[in-house]
Amino acid sequence: MKLELLNLTKQYGNFTALDHVNITFTEGIYGILGANGAGKSTMMNLLTDNIPRTEGQILFDGTDILKLGKDFRRVLGYMPQQQGYYEHMTAQTFLSYMADLKAIPKKQAKEEIEKLLEITNLSDVRHKKLGGYSGGMKQRVLLAQALLGDPKVVILDEPTAGLDPKERIRIRSFIADLSRERIILLATHIVSDIESISDQILMMKHGRVVGMDRPDRLIENVAQEVRESVVPGHFSLEDVYLYYLGE
Amino acid sequence: MRELGRIFSRRRLVLGLALILLLNGLLFVREQRKNDYGLDLELPVSGGIIFFDGTFTVTQEPVDAWAAYQRYSEWIDRARELPLADAVAMLTDEKATLSAKIAEDTDTEDDRLDYVAVNNLLAQTDYLTGYGGWLENIQKNKDNLLTFSIFNDPDSFSGRNILKTADEFEKLQGVELTLGTDGAVESFMSFRLTDYFLLLVLLLIGLSFLEERKAGLWSVVHAAPNGRLKLAIRRTLILFSTSVVGVLLLYGTDLALGFSLYGGIGDLDRAVQSVETLGRLPMLTTVGGFLIRFFLLRIAAAFLVSLLLWLMLTAINNVKYTIIVAAGVLAAEYSLYTFLPVQSAFNIFKYFNLFTYISLSDLYTNYLNIDIFTYPLGIRSISQLALIPLCLLLAAVCVWVHCHKKPAAGRDLLGRVAYKLNSVTDKLLRRLHLFGMELHKTLWIQKGMVIAALLVYVVLGLSYTVSIPVMSSAEQAARQYTTQFAGPVTDGTFARIDAEQTQLDNAIAAHEDAQAAFDAGLIEYPELDKYAREASAARTKSEGLSKVRTRAQELRDKGAAEGFAPWLIDETPFESVYGSRAEANQQKAALVAVLALTLLLAGSMAYERQSGMTYLLRSTARGRGALILRKLLLAAAMTTLVWAAVYGMEVYTLLTAFTIPSFPAPAKNLSMLAAFPLNGSITLWLALLYAYRWLSLFCGAVLVLFLSSRVKRLEVATIAASAVMLIPSVLCAYVGIAALRPLSITLPVAAMPLILSANGSLTRTTLAAITLLAIAAVSLVCVSVQARGINKKSLL
Repeated sequence: MKLELLNLTKQYGNFTALDHVNITFTEGIYGILGANGAGKSTMMNLLTDNIPRTEGQILFDGTDILKLGKDFRRVLGYMPQQQGYYEHMTAQTFLSYMADLKAIPKKQAKEEIEKLLEITNLSDVRHKKLGGYSGGMKQRVLLAQALLGDPKVVILDEPTAGLDPKERIRIRSFIADLSRERIILLATHIVSDIESISDQILMMKHGRVVGMDRPDRLIENVAQEVRESVVPGHFSLEDVYLYYLGE
Repeated sequence: MRELGRIFSRRRLVLGLALILLLNGLLFVREQRKNDYGLDLELPVSGGIIFFDGTFTVTQEPVDAWAAYQRYSEWIDRARELPLADAVAMLTDEKATLSAKIAEDTDTEDDRLDYVAVNNLLAQTDYLTGYGGWLENIQKNKDNLLTFSIFNDPDSFSGRNILKTADEFEKLQGVELTLGTDGAVESFMSFRLTDYFLLLVLLLIGLSFLEERKAGLWSVVHAAPNGRLKLAIRRTLILFSTSVVGVLLLYGTDLALGFSLYGGIGDLDRAVQSVETLGRLPMLTTVGGFLIRFFLLRIAAAFLVSLLLWLMLTAINNVKYTIIVAAGVLAAEYSLYTFLPVQSAFNIFKYFNLFTYISLSDLYTNYLNIDIFTYPLGIRSISQLALIPLCLLLAAVCVWVHCHKKPAAGRDLLGRVAYKLNSVTDKLLRRLHLFGMELHKTLWIQKGMVIAALLVYVVLGLSYTVSIPVMSSAEQAARQYTTQFAGPVTDGTFARIDAEQTQLDNAIAAHEDAQAAFDAGLIEYPELDKYAREASAARTKSEGLSKVRTRAQELRDKGAAEGFAPWLIDETPFESVYGSRAEANQQKAALVAVLALTLLLAGSMAYERQSGMTYLLRSTARGRGALILRKLLLAAAMTTLVWAAVYGMEVYTLLTAFTIPSFPAPAKNLSMLAAFPLNGSITLWLALLYAYRWLSLFCGAVLVLFLSSRVKRLEVATIAASAVMLIPSVLCAYVGIAALRPLSITLPVAAMPLILSANGSLTRTTLAAITLLAIAAVSLVCVSVQARGINKKSLL
């Protein structure tokens, strides 16, 4: 399974949000790091075909996702950055509705919803309306819907925003436990969320990919570059973040 | 007063209040028009007598109500120059003269206007001259009733009530009633909608006090140094100011409009009983004095109601439950006020009721004592006496509640019940597919059920038929013969017409013979008179029969030329429902249909954007084309619902109000469809008409979906869609701006005005259909493009 971004560019007028990006994703978890406005969400929106691209291609197993259309969206799980939900629906109904939109058969949907409500620790409040949920609970419902239908490509835009530390660890562990036979793109600007679980980390700045490698290699590379100024053994991904993305 | 500034800085509230004020004025004027400016427009029956049974009666063309009121004003000025007795004599003579003219069919439009004016003035003078007698009767009744053992116990409620009533009205003895234009005061006292508009204003202000709770700021406000007593006192003062301003603006508008419509302020120094509505008010005061008193009490009552609403809204912590409880209390109070019989032992709850203070005019237009521990107490006294103490008490309670209510102390008592209920609905909703969920969102989440219920209520009140006046006896006869000979036009039809004509000729000839016999002294006058009457009727019938023959011949010739079977048809049912005289009904029905459809669908697309769901939906397999298809199916379903309700009722009215044997007849036989391009039957024409209406409504529904997809909030979508769909139609139909006809969606929905103005041809309707379909198609493409996320540049 392969998801390729070829020369992908997105411009808003004169502003270039994504600048000729070329990446190939295979199975694994990809942490995408970048400051606000670095182009993470633009890349996510292009991958979900929510905004039109200016230039380039996105190929899934060699075919453009625009050509694949519904077939690509069938294998896609998406959790947007902004919380979108129907406040008058309960978690149970919301997930059933999303399952229907994802064309998941009723029986399979029922089983998956049970499992996901359990995993996201929402079983006891499943019949409560989403409008009455806390920010963290809403975030978990959105994560649950993204994972409905066992998607092969999972795009999570700031999945742990608004969660307390306990919930963040829980969700992080769950993402880490997800089968490796899928591509998981996890955009965040919270380094600790992805440090331990990502197979690869992408550093994005001003719409460009400025670094991409395994976390340990990134740390090692940056440590070599700046070895004079840091105490050996105390170098972390946050330092890598600051190295690549700091002003 | 920052609190006042905070409340009125909300644009939606200010807009809502302005809209209420505007609506109140418009509806007041509309009500006066609807009630024919308080006049009885009935005219005496005129025309000759036809000597055979029939279903038709001669109906006079109604006189113009506004012209009649102008004439009434002229007559009242003339009458007021005379002593009342002389005025009555003059009016009685005039009425007799006018009645005779109308009965003989020699009247003019002026005579009819004069008749209505004089007749109404006489009714008014009857009341004035009879008032003294009515007062005397109350005293006589007292004496009579007290002779019965069941009433003469001075310690019983009945005995005390009789004495109290007589005593209160005794002081009115000798009050001098004078003739005047009472329309302004009468309409001011009877227009109840203002009471409910005022309630709405007070409710909106009360709800604005809950803003801090909705925004999660209650704890902050409660913890602030001025957030308790000072804020509570400010809010009390705001409620009082709102009551004063609200009453002055709303009721002031009614009174000012009333004075403007009904000929000026008039004589406010007249005894208040001179106005018939206030005849039962046992109080010595002038009309002007009464109005000042009424306004002051209205302000106090409004303040009391606003305090009660504030108390209800703040007594419970949870905003949702607060609104439920407030609605429950209002419903209970309204039920007691409306449905509790006057004679009930519990009638104290009817008059010591929130709605008594809302509908204050009842206290002045009715005289009633109720039983309070065997003592009769006037309903007016109860309410007036309790008003000030209740205001003070409630203000104190409201301030106390505001200061002592703890923001974080509320328990979600109904939460468990709601959770259980949700678990049941979740089980049902889980079974629904995409279309079912769209229906659920529209009817339940976006409160479409309320719109549907209101639609049914409004439709039940719609009028679908108009009476078709028969202007002369000959026309009446023609219609009766049409009914008699209704059916395919054949040689047999003409033979039957000829046979009838022979009978009529015989009757005319018999009169000529009788005249000769009378001249020869062979018969007496009564016998001649009988022949004369029959001959007169025969001439009228003959004239009618001639019209029928001409029509039958026309249809036969046209049928032969255009290849359809000629039928004689009684056109009254079709004219009554679909004709040009019924255009106002058709426009109103179309407006109701378009409004209901707009309100049902305006939120459909905007709701997704308001909920922030657009991106998420579009990332799913069925969140684009399939979802748009379901939205279109939803639009079709809602169109069908509205169409069935509005036009189902029209068909039901047509089928139940008339007996129509002519459905299989070719439609071209109807005068209004003379240029109908198809040779199909009336049934086919009706099927096409209703299908066309459905299509027009559906095109409108797609346009609403498009407008809904362009905005991010439900309220904005509703306002925008209502404006686009309704304003041109309303301005065109009710204000008469003809330039807006091409933008008026109600015209193609009503359909008949287009067909009739094109003399039955389908040119205009076809053009309208093409335009609507084009608009709908463009809307659909735009909605689809937006849903699919296609790069707009790539389309260019």
